[in-house]
Amino acid sequence: MADLASIERFLYREADLLDRPDLDSWLALYTEDAWYWIPAQEDQPDALNHVSHVYDDRVMMEIRRRNFVHPRASSKDWSVRCSHIIGNVRLAESEPGEVIRVRSNQHVVVHYREEQKLYAFTATHELIPTGDSYLIRSKRVDLINPEAPQTSLVIYL
Amino acid sequence: MQPIADRNFDALVTPTKLHRSLYTDPTLFELEMQRIWGQAWIFIGHESQVPEPGDYFTTHINHNEPVVLIRDKNQAVHVLHNRCGHKGAKVVENRSGRARGALRCAYHGWTYRFDGSLQKVPNEKGYEGTGFDATDPCYSMQPVARVDSYRGFVFASLSHTAPDLIEWMGGARACFDNLCDRSPEGEVEVAGGVLRYEHACNWKFILENLNDTMHPMVVHESIVKAAEAYIATLPPEAAEQRKEAEIIPPFGASYEKFEDSGITGFAYGHHYDGGKTSIHSAYSVDPDYHEAMLAAYGEQRTQDILGFNTHNVLFYPSLTIKCAVQNIRVIRPISVDRFIVESWSFRLKGTPESMLQRTLLYSRLINSSMGMVGPDDLEVYRRAQTGLASSASDWVEFHRQYGKDQVLADRVVGGGTSDLDMRTQYRAWKAYMEGSMQGLPDHG
Repeated sequence: MADLASIERFLYREADLLDRPDLDSWLALYTEDAWYWIPAQEDQPDALNHVSHVYDDRVMMEIRRRNFVHPRASSKDWSVRCSHIIGNVRLAESEPGEVIRVRSNQHVVVHYREEQKLYAFTATHELIPTGDSYLIRSKRVDLINPEAPQTSLVIYL
Repeated sequence: MQPIADRNFDALVTPTKLHRSLYTDPTLFELEMQRIWGQAWIFIGHESQVPEPGDYFTTHINHNEPVVLIRDKNQAVHVLHNRCGHKGAKVVENRSGRARGALRCAYHGWTYRFDGSLQKVPNEKGYEGTGFDATDPCYSMQPVARVDSYRGFVFASLSHTAPDLIEWMGGARACFDNLCDRSPEGEVEVAGGVLRYEHACNWKFILENLNDTMHPMVVHESIVKAAEAYIATLPPEAAEQRKEAEIIPPFGASYEKFEDSGITGFAYGHHYDGGKTSIHSAYSVDPDYHEAMLAAYGEQRTQDILGFNTHNVLFYPSLTIKCAVQNIRVIRPISVDRFIVESWSFRLKGTPESMLQRTLLYSRLINSSMGMVGPDDLEVYRRAQTGLASSASDWVEFHRQYGKDQVLADRVVGGGTSDLDMRTQYRAWKAYMEGSMQGLPDHG
């Protein structure tokens, strides 16, 4: 039986790294075969046959992380700070095996270009226990308004 | 800023300079909505978005007029003003869907057939002897003045005097043919959803940027370098499988490569860069797709279709298409410093799923508000919007290769790094604003 308190502590740690943001340490929480997904449709069934805001595997996450700190990325000249609030953490049904599926409701305030934007979503993490902690096999971010016009977002939620 | 007389557009647009008020003046924006967006053919949607009778898609034809694209019971596709003939309430509120039986106004229950004609007014006897005539078209959901489509792409114009769509498209029409002919069945359909990206700047910045080939190696340097550097660390067999390796690095192509791709301009402000080559021309071809194309068209015609490689095609002012990628972006203005870009993707009918999947990969990498390219483009538009508030100068310039454009019968051609695209669209801008529309080139 997965220990909900240790899962919550892990989600807070992930959020803390995104809040700073410290993408180098954040990416170390993900497995080599991980993916990160922000669908562009409610209950979007798949990431390949419908467009998404983001659908990165580990390679694209590595590229995005390097772009994020590149001195010639002008959209990243502005500092980005975030504040995650995580609640309603609950275990979701999962296939038998090593992976733990956990859902949480998250509200993230993103400060960028001297504006604050609020993102609200359900996060679905697939976690793999590693001794005293976890690694993230996948993270799906279901925005409450996936089909609304979006403004530039230059950080993972 | 000096006040500009309403009709003195010579003072705003010269062959090599634009007045900054084009980007910042709200009254000029209102005039643009009347004279450009109120006269030109505006892209509304694709027929495949409304496959069955009663299927509808709602949008705006300019910054504020709501319209609905709808298919009637005889399969005809209409673009109607989305306004009840009674008290003016917007009739169809959802973005898209399928109406059952009739369209019904939520206020007093007036119902309309799918062709917009008034079907039923509740408690009709109150109108007896009042002079009200339910068959008078002014009480229907009225059609937009002109509606036409080309290979499924539906345009509408608020102007009864707009030229025919075919004439208006001119030589740029070949790009619709190329997009559709890339399907072995010669047809495309909207697939895989839409991305909507809010831009806090003037709508013209994105049009100017489409074929501005002097910006990619600067604005997109970071993502090109980041992608190239990381992909180089992968084992060769893993690197080869990365479609990103085909899509991202060409944004860093050299000035020479972009110069070779050329720019072609047409009447009414349309233009494209590329032709023989573009940043999309080195994409790998799926063998199953290639086989289907050969079976449909034969060797030579297949080569011709796949060898015509434009990068961005602009149908001024509302639609830009990427034939080789099968996606389009639609411009929806809101105010002088705000607009929405919609990115739609197309399935080439009769092709493997991998083709649509590449299109969608492209859209999320490049066009997404959370993508690798879009946010850096928007960043520089916003800096221009902010910088143009400066009183240091009233002008932005576009001299590149001025005087070197080659004027042919129906088009103007020039170097890929020239400002030919600027000259083309601002000739049309000025013509529309002065009321003459066409904006044909008048100098060598």
